[in-house]
Formats: sequence, structure tokens, C-alpha cells
Amino acid sequence: MSHAESGNGLSPGALGELRHDLRTPLNHVIGYAEMLLEDAADPTLAERRRPLEETLAAAREALGLINDSLNSTRGAGAREVLQLYDALRGPRTRIVQAASALLPAADDGADGTFTADVRKILAAAERLAAPTAAPPAPVASTPDQPTTAPPDGAGVRRARILVVDDGAENRDVLRRRLERSGHAVETAEHGRRALELLAARPFDLVLLDVMMPELDGFTVLEAIKGDPTLRDIPVIMISALDEMPSIVRCIERGAEDYLHKPFDPVLLRARINASLEKKRLRDQEVEYLREVARVTEAATAVEGGTYLPGALASVAQRADELGRLARVFDSMVSQMKAREERLRDRVQDLRREIEQARRVSKDPGPSLDGGNLKTGDRVAQRYEVLSVLGRGGMGTVYRARDLELGEEVAIKTLLPEFVSDTRLVERFKDEIRLARRLSDRHIVRTHDFGEWSGVYFLTMEYVEGITVRALLDTRGRLGVSSTLALATQLAQSLAVAHRHGVIHRDIKPQNLLLDAEGVLKVMDFGVARLAERSTSMTEAGLVVGTPAYMSPEQLMAEKVDARSDLYAAGVVMYECLTGEPPFQASSVMSLIAKLLMQEPRPPAALNPEIPPALSALVLQLLSKRPEHRVQTAAALVEQLAPLG
Amino acid sequence: MPKILLVEDNEMNRDMLSRRLQKRGFEVSMAMDGRQGVEMARAGGFDLILMDMSLPEIDGWEATRQLRAVPETRTVPIIGLTAHAMAGDREKALEAGCNDYDTKPVELPRLLAKIETLLGGP
Repeated sequence: MSHAESGNGLSPGALGELRHDLRTPLNHVIGYAEMLLEDAADPTLAERRRPLEETLAAAREALGLINDSLNSTRGAGAREVLQLYDALRGPRTRIVQAASALLPAADDGADGTFTADVRKILAAAERLAAPTAAPPAPVASTPDQPTTAPPDGAGVRRARILVVDDGAENRDVLRRRLERSGHAVETAEHGRRALELLAARPFDLVLLDVMMPELDGFTVLEAIKGDPTLRDIPVIMISALDEMPSIVRCIERGAEDYLHKPFDPVLLRARINASLEKKRLRDQEVEYLREVARVTEAATAVEGGTYLPGALASVAQRADELGRLARVFDSMVSQMKAREERLRDRVQDLRREIEQARRVSKDPGPSLDGGNLKTGDRVAQRYEVLSVLGRGGMGTVYRARDLELGEEVAIKTLLPEFVSDTRLVERFKDEIRLARRLSDRHIVRTHDFGEWSGVYFLTMEYVEGITVRALLDTRGRLGVSSTLALATQLAQSLAVAHRHGVIHRDIKPQNLLLDAEGVLKVMDFGVARLAERSTSMTEAGLVVGTPAYMSPEQLMAEKVDARSDLYAAGVVMYECLTGEPPFQASSVMSLIAKLLMQEPRPPAALNPEIPPALSALVLQLLSKRPEHRVQTAAALVEQLAPLG
Repeated sequence: MPKILLVEDNEMNRDMLSRRLQKRGFEVSMAMDGRQGVEMARAGGFDLILMDMSLPEIDGWEATRQLRAVPETRTVPIIGLTAHAMAGDREKALEAGCNDYDTKPVELPRLLAKIETLLGGP
């Protein structure tokens, strides 16, 4: 039972219920065995002692298993519960074997109370079996000790039956017959008493005499069928042969069946069993529909964010498909919730780091060289330039106001060398059209591509925040939890983009923006397409400044796919965790050589706080060959979830 | 012969405990839920009440409070029984008006000692 698996734990409430469900039958086994053992102190009954002691020992062992494994401070998941049921199988079999040996070879002449008590032990032991488990294998019987069938044949369930008759003798006969069949019987001598009893506790069946003083059977039947809480209890009318017309009336009013006095025992048993079976099926159906409704409600609750894990615990105990659905559903939601909570905590850590970085870093004060645009320019008669945000390898970025929509945007102008080739510009436009379709909270929206006074520009969503580059420059490196928050969001944004067929091609700290809430937004989807011509080994350094975030296949101008973005994500993670990129060199050429030929040092070797699993994941992302990396961004999200 | 009222909804528990107590010379009456337990207790004649705390209708906590609120049952000793053995159950039981408290599974010698202490006392 490992700690790592307690994520999909049952809620404390569900756990308590389960513990109760298992302890109750065990308490019964222990109680009856102890009691019978006390009786067996009588020397004539000495042969009963050993099996009873064995029963008791097995039951205590089972109790120990339950107490150990369902310790509420540790939490238990579905797997632990199944393991427990599995572990209980041994002790349970021993209880059944030991107790079965106490049953007499023939039912007659034996000590009736004793046999009944042993049966109670066996019945209780049955309730220790897993709800999904197959019925226990029959206990092997020796020729001189055959296992005994229940008094009335197998398959008869014990029911609570109310007998209503004014004749004391009839009541007595019925009670004895029914009890012999294994049912629990209560009696009422008139209709009023019957209704009191029905109001006080649940019954499975009512046997109702027609002719009675006080309230007759007909009136009682109408009361039962008129009460929504009692309506579903089957009623069998008891009548003399000459009361046929009133019997017909009763059946019209909802009675299930009728029986003639004097009772024929075989007929009595058959009809009662038939009625009970019908009720059982009806109850099962009602219960099934109720549980289907609960699963549907739970689905609605998940959508509304109000689902509590464990809420389907009782449905999950069913052995059928509905139970399986509930189990799978509950465990999925629990895992999802746990994961969300973990990510929320990590983002909190990231937020703190951003705040600290902002406090330390002097405002970069964009007193940069203005580039092609000046403050106050009205680009394309629509965007008023407000200030310079920064300069990159491809051009300058400005903050501007969209006069048409009245909101702030970012404008990125592109250096002439990137837009001189018209074929390339057409391809770039296609890429921008694709990127514009991406809409995700972790992706900076691209709005427009245009030209104004000979300057090509892109407009995009303006995000007030700090780049991961600036964060790393002020903080040196990030904590494990913050890095996981950042990497998870990066992987999520890549998963969305890749699903839409867009590859970023230029993931690096400069392109990752963090807002004050710690929400990561990836910039420049599709933009790197323009620089692609230059991504061969010889020109890489010239164009993008540093190839540090480029995958080997990108450097070699080989086929680039989604896995190249995952390599770059690995580099970003490496740098966040250790404060330095995986490869460093004094010249671009030697850097490229290292990139293509050297293995990076494991991040954990540079910072012992990094968990080995996370260090290994980063190294895997940095594999030279794409097929050795994590294969998809979605898979990366999955692999990040349990780390840290 | 001391008379004990056993209030317990679980049939097997009721059967087991009542028979074991009867064998030791107690006269045992049984109630199946809290409401019935209160009714029977108020009808009188019991020297001690064994009260399961999780009961249908009215639970054991409430039944105990009701019995403590009326003069005819205010002084009848009550031993509360719970299956959970949760921290704080004991305090809760004593607060509700139980004289003592025990957990299920019942260890008979321990329970008998408690019963005898309460019956032997003033």
C-alpha cells in the first residue's frame, strides 16, 4: 500500500462506511462464536470447542486486517480496498470451514438454537466477501458431514413479514410456518395494530385477513395502497373459501395474491416466495434506477465543479456494470481534482517568485531605440503606438491602442530581411491564419498581419506581465514547484497548438509571458516560420542570436515536428531548475557542436533539490533523437502531474 | 434479578448480547429503535439501559438526552455503545447523559464490570 497511490483515496466518510460494513459482520461472527464457546464449557459439548476456537481466531485475524489497512489517517484508495477484500478471503474461508463443520449431518433432532447460531455465523461471514467477487466456492464436505441446505431450499431470502389475523390460532400457525422458512415474523390481531406496526418499521410482505374486528382487511389494504411509503409492500389476502367476491375486490385494489384457509403448507410457501421474489426484483429495479440517477447527478456535479470524491461510494459497491462505471468515474474525478489542486499550489509558488522578481527588477524602462515606429504613430489608421516593449531577433515590439476596439494590443514589426522573399511571406501568412485559430488561456492571441508604410507588422493580444527570461535573470533559477507550474502550463499550451497542427518552433524564455496571477502565455506561435530559411547550421547564430533552445533536428534543418517544441520545453525546464542552459560555449559553433554531440549533465547533479524523476524527465526531453523524447505535449502534461 | 433495557437496532447484536446477559442472570428487554427505547424506558422498571448510539428513528444521543430530561428516567444508569470508537465519542456520550461508554465489538467481561459498577453504586 504505497503513499503514491493515496491520491485517489476514498473520502473519510466513505472509508468509515466501508469499515462499518466490514466490522459489523465480523462482530457478529466473534460474538456468536464467543457465546457458543461459553456454552461448550459443558463437557458433553467439548467437541464443539476446537472449530469454535478456530472460527474466533480467523475472525480476530480478519478484524486485525481491517483495522490495519483502513487506517483513516493514511487514506485508502480503490486498490487498497480490493487488496483488503483479497486478504480477507483467507480468514473468511477458514471461518466458513470451521463453522460448517459444526452443522449437524441431519437437521432433525439436533440442538436447534445451536444450529441457528452457527448459520448466523455463516451468514455474517458471507458479508465479508467483496461485492464484486464471485460467490464463494462451496465448502468441501466429507461423506459423514455433508453441508446442509438452508431449511427451505437455497435461494430463499429472509424477509420481514407481518401477519394480520384476528384468530390467535391462525396467527400462530402462520408465524411458525414462516419462521421455519427462515423469515422474521411479527403479528397483529387487528387492522389498527397492523397500521401502527407498518408505520413503525419496514416490512417486505403483509399477510392480511379479510374479516376482522376494528378495521377489516379491505380498509387496511386501502390504507396501505394509499400511502406512498407503504404502497410497494406486497399484500397477500387470507380468506375463507366463501369470501371470493371480497377477494376479487381486494385484488382490484392492489392485493398481490390470496390464500385460502386452511393453509396448504406447500402452496403457502410457493406463493409467499413468489411474492417476495417479485418484490425483490421490483426493489432492485427501483434501486437501480435511483443509482443511475445518482451517477447522472454526479456527472452534472462534475460539470459544475461541485462533485465530492466518494459521493458514489455506495453505487461503486455494485458488482454490475453500473458499479464499475461509478468506480471508474469516481477514481477519475478524484485524480483530476487532486491534480488540479496540486497545480493550483504550484502556480501559487510561481506567483510568489514573480512578485519577488518584480520587486527586485528595476522596470526595464523601454527607453529603447524606437525602431521603425514612433510613439504617437497611427499604424494602418487603427493602432496608436504607445511605447516600446522590447526588441527581438526579428523586430521591435510596441504597446499600442487599437482605436477601433478601444483596447491595448502589442504590435510586432518585422525586419525587412524577413519579408523580402514574397513566397516566404505568403507561407508566413498561411501560418498566421492557422495560429489565429488558436484560442487558449495559455496562448497569446495573434490578431492581424499587415503592412503600413513599407513596414510589415503583426498585432497580438497585449499581456501585462514578465517574460520567463526576465524572471530567470532576476531570480537565477526557480523552485521545483514553480518550474512544474510553468512546465505544466507550457505543455498544456503546446498540446492545444499541436492538436491544431501548429508547431511553435521557437519556444524560449523570451517567448513565455507570465501574468501577475502566475498564468503562463506563450507568444509568437507561427512566427518562427519566417526564420525557418535561416535555421541551417551556418546561419542559425546570425538570425536568432543563440541556438540554445533549438533541437538537433532543427539545427540540422531536418524535418521539424511537434517533438522539437518538446525539446525546447526541456531546455526551458533545465534552465528554470538549474539556472543555466544545458549547454554553454564561448562561440556559436562550439555550442552547436556540444548541442549535437554532448549529453547534458543531469539537472539533479546541479541542484540536489530536484527530484530524480523530474531530472530524468528533463533529460528525456533533451534526447537528441525525437523518438526518444516524450512523444506528445499531452503526454508531458500527464508525466508532470505526479512529480514534485 | 436486575432488569436491563437493551436498545439496539441490529438484530444479531440484540440477540447475542441479550442472550449472554440473560445467561448471567439479568432480565433483558429489547427495543429496536430510539423511539421505542425511550417509550419503554419511560414505562419504567429498568435498573440499567444499554444504548446503541446509531439507531433509526431517534439516535442514541438524542434518546439519552430525552431520558435525562424527564424525572422518571433521569437517574437510571445508561451505558452508551458505539461501533466506531471515534475520538471524542466518549466525551460526547457522557455529555449526552450516559454514565459510561463502551465500544463494539462488546468485550463481555469489560461490559459486565461496567454494568456491575453502575448497579452496585449508590
